[in-house]
Amino acid sequence: MTTTPSTGGPSDSVLQDFADMSAALTGFQSSFLRPFLDPTNLSEVFYNFAVAQVGQTAMDNLLAAFRSRKSQTPPLTAQQIADSLLEVTTPTGKESNQAQLAQAVILMWYLGSWYTPAYQTANKQPGQVLQVISSQAYTKSLVWNVAQAHPMGFSAFTFGYWSQPPAGLATFGVNTGGGQ
Amino acid sequence: MSNGNGNGSDTPQYDVVIVGAGVSGNLIAKQLGLAGKKVLILEAGPAVPDSREQYMENFYLALAKTPESPYPSLAGRIGPGVGTLPNPSEIPTPRATVLSIGAPPDVSHLIQSETAGVSGTTPDNQPEVRQLQFSSTYDRIGGGTAWHWLGSVPRLVPHDLTMKTTYGVFYDWPIEYSEMQTLWGLAESEIGVAASVTQQVPLQAAIGMVYPPGYEYPMGPIPSSVVDQTVSNGVSGMSVPGEGSEGGKEYSVFVTNTPAGRNSEPYQDRRVCAGNTNCIPICPIQAKWDPTVTLGDALNTGNVTVSYQSVAVNIAVDGNNVTQVDYLKWSYDDKGNLQSTPASVTGKIYVSACHAIENAKLLLLSNDQKGIANKSDQVGRNLMDHVLYLAWALAPSQVWGYRGPLATGGIESLRDGEFRTNRAAFRMEIGNEGWNFACGDPYTTTLDFVTGSNGSQLNSGPTRLGGTALVNTLNDRLTRQFRFGLLLEQAPQADNRVTIDQNNTDGLKIPRPHVDYGFDKYTLEGFRVAAETCSAIFQQMGAQEFTQPTVNPYPKDKYPDGKTMGPGDFNYEKKMYHMYGAGHIMGTHRMGTDPCTSVVDATQKSHDVQNLWIVGSGSFPTVATANPTLTIMALAFKSAEAIKAALGA
Ligand SMILES: Cc1cc2nc3c(=O)[nH]c(=O)nc-3n(C[C@H](O)[C@H](O)[C@H](O)COP(=O)(O)OP(=O)(O)OC[C@H]3O[C@@H](n4cnc5c(N)ncnc54)[C@H](O)[C@@H]3O)c2cc1C
Ligand code: SF4
Repeated sequence: MTTTPSTGGPSDSVLQDFADMSAALTGFQSSFLRPFLDPTNLSEVFYNFAVAQVGQTAMDNLLAAFRSRKSQTPPLTAQQIADSLLEVTTPTGKESNQAQLAQAVILMWYLGSWYTPAYQTANKQPGQVLQVISSQAYTKSLVWNVAQAHPMGFSAFTFGYWSQPPAGLATFGVNTGGGQ
Repeated sequence: MSNGNGNGSDTPQYDVVIVGAGVSGNLIAKQLGLAGKKVLILEAGPAVPDSREQYMENFYLALAKTPESPYPSLAGRIGPGVGTLPNPSEIPTPRATVLSIGAPPDVSHLIQSETAGVSGTTPDNQPEVRQLQFSSTYDRIGGGTAWHWLGSVPRLVPHDLTMKTTYGVFYDWPIEYSEMQTLWGLAESEIGVAASVTQQVPLQAAIGMVYPPGYEYPMGPIPSSVVDQTVSNGVSGMSVPGEGSEGGKEYSVFVTNTPAGRNSEPYQDRRVCAGNTNCIPICPIQAKWDPTVTLGDALNTGNVTVSYQSVAVNIAVDGNNVTQVDYLKWSYDDKGNLQSTPASVTGKIYVSACHAIENAKLLLLSNDQKGIANKSDQVGRNLMDHVLYLAWALAPSQVWGYRGPLATGGIESLRDGEFRTNRAAFRMEIGNEGWNFACGDPYTTTLDFVTGSNGSQLNSGPTRLGGTALVNTLNDRLTRQFRFGLLLEQAPQADNRVTIDQNNTDGLKIPRPHVDYGFDKYTLEGFRVAAETCSAIFQQMGAQEFTQPTVNPYPKDKYPDGKTMGPGDFNYEKKMYHMYGAGHIMGTHRMGTDPCTSVVDATQKSHDVQNLWIVGSGSFPTVATANPTLTIMALAFKSAEAIKAALGA
């Protein structure tokens, strides 16, 4: 069960929206990012970390943008929602601060670290890493799933698995349905 | 152990005093302890921790997951909250780290060039590159550098020991191959090497690799990765032509499973490898042998004691005999201030086992910095590495790297041939970690496709992606990545040299190592052929090559085409290369039969000082292409026997 927020922390519904938005942005299943039994509680850790870095308003606005796209009719696919939040058709470097925050959310999930959005850095360049958010953020980071592998130094596989092709991507938590 | 009673007392406190609790020191201690000899090990660094959990946590939190990142001293842990790179002048046991290569002395323990290599010619008009960074690193903690060794343990081939006789270059080793075979067998049993002699048989015709009849490794091989299998299929039937006078000869190219110091079955109470893909910098489950295993055995004999945080500063010699070792015992007080107390200890026999660079430093520092064991003037000279050439590509189909031990196979068939008269040979290690070594992946490529950068060269569009499109694109690129790491045989050169730097000291006010380093034509020609061979293999496999001289963290010079050249970069015949260290530091106290041209004899005993052994890969007269630790251990067995004999076993 996900932990009840302490007073002043994000509500369950905010965290669920954050997980759903993260799912669209990362291409993973929301239930994989925020499972019912969630001892690591990364969605809350990441939400809080991002808010501390960019401020509550920026995060609220990003979530609001996500909710409005999600409730659109006809419904957008998860891919369309991600593309829209990330402004993928805007030339690189010209995307809004909000899209840069959406990038930072992907990078938290994929790499377990906080990459300061370009707009917050001195030279306005992306890719500047602040820190590994926690050891669990590293051992659960998703890029390794995308590679059908495991974080270096943290494997639940057994002897000799590397001599065979891995199981399909679908078994690594990615969203194969195309929708939510 | 006591303070300073060394000189006065007639009875030595120990049979043997060993400096350094790494691979060599621990193995010699174990052998002597088993024989009932009283041994003290002085170890500069902190104690081996009871559990490796803290080291693992350091690793998880390190931004740069370099070999040194899990280990104390904060190196590798950069960014807010985890400290900055330590200043070597402030800490008790600074060491060479990956993050400090090419950095100035307030970051780099080794004092050396901070620029790109300088191309020139020797007085006899041969090409050379000087002012290169020596790029191999080592650790100074209880257990030593092999906490983060990869665990590859191929043997040398017969011609590796007879370079002078066979190819007319360099030196012969003062040991016969047949004796080495016996010693390697002992080392393989100590480590618990996983390999199959049958799998190595094709190397007999190719490079003369032979095992004694009936020999078998302690346990079966580590399975070959999908990457190995793909390269193996891709080079099927391939050969490369001989060079120069060898015209017409063809060298066949094929993949061989690499003997490994990791368990394919439980051994010495340690688990089977689970393929954590993390042998460098730390195996989470100790499936990989490391020197703390042997240290545990040594301590269990009841005859071996370790004194941690004890940095040897002087091996005191009277005439032809060591009389005591002086050291500094350090600690941090409650306020975090570094403190040290001088002490000394006596033994009948002394062993310097600090690894090649620190061994040379200690010998040169001794006797009021006039140096000991150095009538040959070879101490510190002939510093060598298996200089590493890195080449990387995308395979035509998925190979699924980032899985399994970092390397399980290699191309060994080009390690010997008549070309060694003219240029360095190499062994080709196949990496199982995608482009992690090559460009910091999977981080770099992920950043590229999320933010629209192109550090990986894979996002030249550039595009920015999210959702399923990101998953699919990254999956395609990451699962096709692979690399070769070529370990080149470096020539021994007198001017590749460790000296002591009076102007730069560590936190205990001990002068630090100064390094002069470069490549002669022999090594440079090896580089040229290494690069050509990799490209030819990629082409044969239908793989797309992405090898680049790297983007350097400390750029200093501009290359004519606008590329930045920095530490580790150099030009040869109008082509730019980047060299890495293999972590194999060799040659600073070479062995030989002639006291005028070598420092130690075949047992690693000093020619000049009666009761001093100087051990480790510093003793290697030539380095060939096999990773050194198996041979370090083989020689340590030989030294231990000689020491026992000298003590009157
Ligand atoms: C990244 C990496 C990967 C590697 N992979 C492989 C591999 O796959 N196969 C292979 O064969 N080899 C490999 N090596 C090389 C291997 O680690 C070394 O050959 C080996 O550790 C050398 O053993 P040693 O005992 O001579 O020195 P070390 O292991 O360095 O031990 C020396 C000890 O002496 C101590 N010491 C130093 N100075 C003093 C002093 N003044 N007083 C007291 N104590 C002192 C140090 O603290 C240290 O504990 C690798 C190295 C690196 C860096
Ligand atoms: S692959 Fe993993 S488990 Fe195996 S030896 Fe290396 S780090 Fe240890």
